[in-house]
Amino acid sequence: MSLLAVDDLQAGYGDFKALHGVSFAVEPGEIVCVIGANGAGKSTTLKSIIGIVRPTGGTVIFDGEHIEGRAPGEVVERGVALVPEGRNLFAGMTVEENLMVGAHPKRVRRGVARRLRESYDRFPLLGPLRGRRAGSLSGGQQQIVAIARALMSEPRLLLMDEPSLGLAPKITLEIFDLVRAINRDGVAVVLVEQNVVQALELASRAYVLTEGKTVMEGAAATIRGNADVKRRFLGEVL
Amino acid sequence: MKTALRIAAVVAIAALVFAPLRLNGYLLNLLYTTVLYVALAYGWNIISGYAGYFSFGQIAFFGIGAYATGLLVADQHWFWMVAALAGGIVACALAVPLGYVMLRLRGPFFAMGMFGMAQMVRVLVTAIPATGSGAGLFLPPGSSLTGVYYWTLAICLGAIALTLWIDRSAFGLRLQALREDEQVAGTLGVDVTRAKITAFSLSALIPGLLGGGYALFLTYIEPDAAFSSRLDLQSIVMAILGGVGTVWGPLVGGIVMTQVSEALWARFPQIYLMLFGGLLVALLLALPRGIVPAIASRWRAR
Repeated sequence: MSLLAVDDLQAGYGDFKALHGVSFAVEPGEIVCVIGANGAGKSTTLKSIIGIVRPTGGTVIFDGEHIEGRAPGEVVERGVALVPEGRNLFAGMTVEENLMVGAHPKRVRRGVARRLRESYDRFPLLGPLRGRRAGSLSGGQQQIVAIARALMSEPRLLLMDEPSLGLAPKITLEIFDLVRAINRDGVAVVLVEQNVVQALELASRAYVLTEGKTVMEGAAATIRGNADVKRRFLGEVL
Repeated sequence: MKTALRIAAVVAIAALVFAPLRLNGYLLNLLYTTVLYVALAYGWNIISGYAGYFSFGQIAFFGIGAYATGLLVADQHWFWMVAALAGGIVACALAVPLGYVMLRLRGPFFAMGMFGMAQMVRVLVTAIPATGSGAGLFLPPGSSLTGVYYWTLAICLGAIALTLWIDRSAFGLRLQALREDEQVAGTLGVDVTRAKITAFSLSALIPGLLGGGYALFLTYIEPDAAFSSRLDLQSIVMAILGGVGTVWGPLVGGIVMTQVSEALWARFPQIYLMLFGGLLVALLLALPRGIVPAIASRWRAR
């Protein structure tokens, strides 16, 4: 059984419909990459899964249970976490306070001190920065805080919205290494990325969205070799 | 350091408790006013400081508390402290549905919306015939300033304790998170609506409880006094001057402002408002984040 099964998902903002039928699945422990042009509905898809955008149709099944239309609190409680686009830390709060807000689900509230220690072990960079205002950190550091904050809820599925956005290539590689390490610990990942080449190297399978619809799916290597994908997302002249 | 502060706090509280035994009427009056303003500033600080929803209408709950107490004392002959407690509970309970509606607004829209809400509540309360409408409501004499002072002091200390708890609790962290970025707080699973409404009703409970004491203090309630925009604005200014969203900001801002205001009024009665306004502008230009954050960052820099 898939850990996450999204079927014919539809959602929008007011009168504007952003998703017209997105379908994809994530197996336990897998990295799935979702690619598509700007405005194809990638972010909206993640927001609809976590519950801050209410789907108008379709189903989202996580671990065998329907979660479409549920409040984010319930979805996070079940084991899904989102790393939002542009990092979006609580800029005026300290790194540690940011992490503590991430430990929101009831099932992890008792172990916050332990979770914090584990975070500082896993991301040694964060320990010395714990008392710093999150807004004063560099882009790469902020991305690590955003990832650590999402992991505080001990998710089984991590949704990542453009983690490489605005980061230097070297930092992007470091972030992707972190994603790989997190995945090795058994956390499934949905990766939405503009950095298509690197994302496809990381992922086992990939989906292509166009105008709010899933138009292609397959093994990452197959998608990587697809002529249409090459032309549209990789800028390769054939 | 910590023990020294603790001892200072105990001494201060003891002094406040025994003050009515030694102070003359004027000084006790000034002390009551100070404690009232500090408590109002603490009430405002929860929804507006910690949660970041600037409200210009918390006085609505003060007025509700005052009128509820007035009616219960004058018509039902309740003991005034019980009536004032009931007034606070009524204000807090009304804040839940009001907050559910009002907290959908953000930023300046919420601030203005709350201003309008306070006006609306004022009109509604005074439309009830039992409140004496615009003419007001006389309370039977019998309560002393000392009693009202103790009531207000207890609420003020309670508000400080509540703020200390909020500042250290997961609930307070959630409020600060939604102040910083409501949508992101939501994606982490924080029930932002619930957190906001809880903060809002706590911010209504405090003025609600204070209103009853104030009604007794005046022995006569009329709309302008119960829904006094001067009380509202001054307590907001105190919290801002002391430091918005800090534990000690309302206390420091409230004490400084009440004393300065009183001293200016006593010495320069003709131009006191002008001096007060000028001083306020100068202080806010010099310390835009407030007195407490300015001292804290100076302290850390040493």
